[in-house]
Amino acid sequence: MTTLPLTASRVTTGGASAQSEPWRAGLRQTLRAEWTKLVSLRSTRWTLLTTVVGALLVTFLSTHGALHHSRAWYSGFDPTNQSLAGLAIGSLTLGILGVLAMSGEYGSGTIRSSLAAMPRRGVLLTAKVVLVGLGTLIVGEALSFIVFFEGQAVLSGGAPTASLGQPGVFRAVALSGAFLSLFALLGLGIGTVIRHTAGAIAVFAGCTLLASILLSSISESIARFAPELIFANSVAAVVPHLHSLSVTLGAVLMVAYCAVALGLGALLLNRRDA
Amino acid sequence: MIVTRGLTKRYGETLAVDNLSFTVSSGVVTGFLGPNGSGKSTAMRMILGLDKPDAGSALVNGCSYDELSWPLREVGALLDAKAFHPGRSARNHLRWLAQANDIPPGRVDTVLDLVGLTAVADRRAGKFSLGMGQRLGIASALLGDPGVLLLDEPVNGLDPEGIRWVRNLLRDLASEGRTVLVSSHLINEMALTAERLVVIGRGTLIADTSVDEFVARHQADAVRIVTPTPQRFAAVLSRVGARPSVDRDGVIVASGLSSADIGELAADQELTLHELTPLRASLEDVFMELTSTSTEYRSHTVDKDGAHVAVPVR
Repeated sequence: MTTLPLTASRVTTGGASAQSEPWRAGLRQTLRAEWTKLVSLRSTRWTLLTTVVGALLVTFLSTHGALHHSRAWYSGFDPTNQSLAGLAIGSLTLGILGVLAMSGEYGSGTIRSSLAAMPRRGVLLTAKVVLVGLGTLIVGEALSFIVFFEGQAVLSGGAPTASLGQPGVFRAVALSGAFLSLFALLGLGIGTVIRHTAGAIAVFAGCTLLASILLSSISESIARFAPELIFANSVAAVVPHLHSLSVTLGAVLMVAYCAVALGLGALLLNRRDA
Repeated sequence: MIVTRGLTKRYGETLAVDNLSFTVSSGVVTGFLGPNGSGKSTAMRMILGLDKPDAGSALVNGCSYDELSWPLREVGALLDAKAFHPGRSARNHLRWLAQANDIPPGRVDTVLDLVGLTAVADRRAGKFSLGMGQRLGIASALLGDPGVLLLDEPVNGLDPEGIRWVRNLLRDLASEGRTVLVSSHLINEMALTAERLVVIGRGTLIADTSVDEFVARHQADAVRIVTPTPQRFAAVLSRVGARPSVDRDGVIVASGLSSADIGELAADQELTLHELTPLRASLEDVFMELTSTSTEYRSHTVDKDGAHVAVPVR
């Protein structure tokens, strides 16, 4: 029972096979492989489901709670910001998706298969950045607009509402969707640096949730640099919060956080044994 | 063809692989032999570019691993049973590997069939037994139909039928002209499978030879002699250049002469013989002898009876 249907298609045996040939495994092949990896895991589906259901629920609660208050209560009310509250869930879940995209490989040993298939490690990381970045950008944008409309629908039952045509509203909704993608990339960077899933998720949660809580209790002027507060108070806001960073500065800073995490990850990925 | 030159790897204080140079040729199964912790896996990881050597180099078909155009089509590797995600099915694991190197998708079914996993191909690989995981690893290695195969302890966890299957598979692959390097800590397994041996202990090369040569060189033949006059017999043996040793019971073990020579010698000298038995060290004993100074993890029971290396030939 050991006849081998292998021999027929032998292409290259030994010898200096085509090392100058430009036709070799590259980003295109690695992207396809990474896509298959991502969609063939149940955890991806669960993460996306949690993100969507959680966001819809939190936005409903947040906007529902803003109904039927006194006129004074609505001074400075930001209906856009109120409706985007559900995206906070996504900043956590999609961040974890980013973490798992790399740390999951180390936990399971898959990284050895991945690097055997694509030994140029920068290409592997680039493929993950592109895939996680683009995938969560699409999900993030869709979700951001969905919760915006959901929130406005709820608010129309007895509170001021916003529309995309008002100044700053479209910017806040669109940029919030993009920010979810940045959280995922921050997670990917942290997952590449830390490599152990539990540790990486702890660090990610520390940088996002915990930082915003702890720093807020110390000083508002420091806390505003925390990713989660940039997200909630600068990016997702139309009416500026007290102490919050400008949208531009907040966005630049968040991109810088991701660049640092991914840059350090790339450096370590190239240097460390797998 | 795999060539390592001066391969060296240090983990902190431990020198895992020490100036290791060997060549693995195509067309034969080469056994990579050494006790646990002798550096086999580390050397294999360096060949695959997973670990970076502190010194030296490892080339596959003349290239370092990261220079290969389509790595999976040139080199197939089984490193440890679990190089796949437990949540992914066997088929999906092979599918992404195939996509990563533009391997025709039909190969996935071919190798699944070859290793006998077709029936469970869509089940999550995390539910696999050790043996099934090992088969998936072998399927991954064969996926790209590579000319070079590196398999780290491939029979680990397999049942006797599976072990025989791997043995035949390796020989078939080699007979097709492929380069096959198989690591093992069991010399008897290698004696059955391999034609050539690369033996290492504590990260250094002990032997790079054919199995036959290894056996011939290291299996010291000896003859056991029982006679009513052991002292006289021993004296005669010494005179003709054999090296006899007499134990307390008066049993002689002599090396340097065949049993036929000793029989004739006894007839010439009119010495009485009660027993004349050719002895041969088992391959395992030879291996233990060779690597005993270089075994990293040693159980103490082995130490004590290290003196006796000879067993009768059946």
